[in-house]
Amino acid sequence: MVKLPHRLSEPVTESVLAVKDLSVTLSREGRPSRVLDGISFDMFPGEIMALVGESGSGKTSIGLTLQGLLPREHLPQIAGSIRLAGIELVGAGRRTWQSVRRHLVRAISQDPMGALNPTMTIRRQMRESNAGSEGSIEDWLSRTGLLDPDRIADALPHRLSGGQRQRVLIAMAMMARPKLLIADEPTTALDVTMQAQILDLLRDLAREQQTAILFVTHDLTVAASLADRALVLYAGRIVEMGGMQDVAGNAAHPYSAGLLAARFDLDSDRRRPLPTLPSERTPSTNVENACAYATRCPIAQPDCTTIRPPLEPAYVHAGAVACLHHKQTPTLSALRTDAKPWPALAIQETAALRLSNIGKAYPTGIRSFWGRRQPQPVLNSVNLSIKLGECVALVGESGAGKSTLVRIAAGLVTPESGTVARFDRLPPQVVFQDPVAALTPWLTIGEQIGERLRAISPDSDYGRRRVGEAMKLVGLDPILMDALPAEMSVGQCQRAVLARAVIVPPRLLLCDEPISAMDVSLAATTLNLLGDLRRRLDMAMLFVTHDLAAARIIADRIAVLKDGQLVEIADPDAIVAAPQSPYTRSLVTAMPSLQAGGGR
Amino acid sequence: MLAYLAKSIVGAVVVLLVMSFIFFSLQSIIPADPARAIAGPNAPLETVEAMREQLGLDDPAVVQYGRFLFRLAHADLGTSVRTRRPVSDDIREFLPATLELGLVSIALGMVLAGAMAALQFLIPGSAGIRLAMVGVGSTPIFLSALLLAYFFWFQLDWLPGAGRLTYGDFAGPTGLNVIDGILVGRPEVSIDALLHMILPALALALPIGIAVGRSLNGALHEVMRQTYIRTARGKGLGETKVLLRHGLRNAATAPLSMLSLQVRLLFGNLLVVERVFGWPGLGLYAVQAFASADLPAVLGVAIVFGILYIMANTLIEIVQSMADSRINL
Repeated sequence: MVKLPHRLSEPVTESVLAVKDLSVTLSREGRPSRVLDGISFDMFPGEIMALVGESGSGKTSIGLTLQGLLPREHLPQIAGSIRLAGIELVGAGRRTWQSVRRHLVRAISQDPMGALNPTMTIRRQMRESNAGSEGSIEDWLSRTGLLDPDRIADALPHRLSGGQRQRVLIAMAMMARPKLLIADEPTTALDVTMQAQILDLLRDLAREQQTAILFVTHDLTVAASLADRALVLYAGRIVEMGGMQDVAGNAAHPYSAGLLAARFDLDSDRRRPLPTLPSERTPSTNVENACAYATRCPIAQPDCTTIRPPLEPAYVHAGAVACLHHKQTPTLSALRTDAKPWPALAIQETAALRLSNIGKAYPTGIRSFWGRRQPQPVLNSVNLSIKLGECVALVGESGAGKSTLVRIAAGLVTPESGTVARFDRLPPQVVFQDPVAALTPWLTIGEQIGERLRAISPDSDYGRRRVGEAMKLVGLDPILMDALPAEMSVGQCQRAVLARAVIVPPRLLLCDEPISAMDVSLAATTLNLLGDLRRRLDMAMLFVTHDLAAARIIADRIAVLKDGQLVEIADPDAIVAAPQSPYTRSLVTAMPSLQAGGGR
Repeated sequence: MLAYLAKSIVGAVVVLLVMSFIFFSLQSIIPADPARAIAGPNAPLETVEAMREQLGLDDPAVVQYGRFLFRLAHADLGTSVRTRRPVSDDIREFLPATLELGLVSIALGMVLAGAMAALQFLIPGSAGIRLAMVGVGSTPIFLSALLLAYFFWFQLDWLPGAGRLTYGDFAGPTGLNVIDGILVGRPEVSIDALLHMILPALALALPIGIAVGRSLNGALHEVMRQTYIRTARGKGLGETKVLLRHGLRNAATAPLSMLSLQVRLLFGNLLVVERVFGWPGLGLYAVQAFASADLPAVLGVAIVFGILYIMANTLIEIVQSMADSRINL
């Protein structure tokens, strides 16, 4: 391992966590696979370390390994050494692990909705967490910025919003005063304004309590606004480590450079396709003596497939990098900006979808004596029309009524008032957030895409040809026609869902948060694909997202929904440059950027 | 909650009405003639006709049904053809024995279910446990009751296998012998009553234990994979605490629904088991009533079982809503 300069301004302190040559093998369905491979790093009190990588890179496994919570049914085999506050954890017994989890290491999970016990009050769940620290439960809750800690302490989790739950989880973890906090994508489920607040909170708590935070994320931009140092993980190996600003500003590994190029923000060029990582990650076999990234790397040389690159001092910054040719990495950024601009759009004046005065209320809250519940308005006289060939993005925080509006537009939900008028009589196609859940697990991809042909059997030659054409259109290899969803990656599933939507080209495509669960590179790829499809097939599109940057890139107009009302609708660049409503303004200012400290 | 209780009472009344109508219709369809049954097979025709008139069987069906409902509303279930006593008196006599056996069976079934789920949790994927479960689960109740009686009473003579009590003349205030024995200061009666109950209760508890146990096991497997279980483990709680505090309560809904289903089946099983073990309860009474086409008695038992089922179901749903406050009654 390479000695790295620690945080420069402060005296060298004793590391709180020292990981050395950590390797983890998990068995899935009897097949062992190495999820972590020779990981070594240190962390110091009060330091925030970003752990960056795509899904499947092993970043979540590191967090679980450090807590001793790798799923037992996968028969984890752990080699190497983990020393936390001087205690060796590899091979530690059950009692040691329990005590370590109680006093030394805590975690905040990616999914605040599922991470709290639904049948236990917050107070009881927090009481369990208290490892003899001073300060009452209410104190800790208010310290995380929750306004009425008394009410929240006595509430059950389902009464709280996602942001409130995430704060509760942070309070629960911090009240144990751990030496190490693992934050596994704690902000992915939250919208940007909430995200910025949670990041501030973590930063303050790290400084105040001298807790080391391992911040697991796929988003270099979010990492840059928070962390001191960064570790970039690819296929279970560290490919780059160094100061956060060094890695974010001057990536030494082609993979990090690719991640950086694929990220998009409010300043990205929206006139041409976004830069993306070259192809999707393929499960690499036999990479024992090779660079795992070689199959995707734009600057790969023959020796990359025969030598495993060691971690060595980087050329462009003071950190370390595992690449045989990292001196060539800076040349990559020049290659990326030459994508051809999108062809001009043909937007017609006829409306593909016209929503007039849409109102909808759902019954919520406690039932009255006769079992009726108070209706809670979700949408309030919403007027929105989308022209043929036009893409309108609908932006808003969770609970604003976005999904309800999409379901009304799709004809899946009947509005209480108002009218829905569509250009054609065919129902519009909808793309939902989770592509894996949107596919039936026991039908092949070809069968599911071909189902929409109805009269034509997908098994006939003509049917198979049509399915194959649709697959090629979305960039899927027609060989996958006979594959089951479980055999494909998330990105491939998303393409299959799109192929199903466009095999009979609809005049209107509805997308409900299609990229919010994806890592940066996959999100950029999907945005490009949607941009391409709507131009080629001349589809109108309603694109629902909580990500203003994505909305700006894909859409011709952005509509902002707040508390069930449209507060603003305008050209994307106009909205970003001069947001009219206070809510839109807060969305724009909360966007994280690569500069330290975040915010614009 | 109040609205819910009101609803379940209304539900009970509706069930009673439907049941009474079905039974009343049956009375006129089935070929049995109650007047002939009371008068005896050798009685002259005039006696039978006189009996028919006395019973009001000549009146139009609507009048008969009206009279029937009126009496029902006054808890008058008519006179048993077989015992020649008011059915309500018979029920009062035999109900405690059935209640006692049923409650003990349900309790025993839940203990078995818990034990089974725990066993499966400790030894996951054990072929032996699964084989035993399939074996016991697929044995019909009349066979398992007979086998229990044959081995543990007839062959080994470890446990009594007939009747409720050795003390023939014992009669306590509640009719539930286990409680009465304690109340009147004769603990030996309570013990004797419990011993008599083991075999029939076991026969009844086995299907409950298997069904609820499987459902509990499945629910626990699902719950123990949830993120909040990882949160609980992440707090450094021991595995037992995680299971009891965080796992069990969240897994309770499905097995409780299964229990409610099993309670319904229990009423049918009571008929078989009481018959096999000579248990002097409503089940045995009903079996004897069937044999002698004693429709008032059958109807009486059906109404009591119907009310008991609605009560059990209501109770289980209340427990479910207490376990998970998101269930809003």
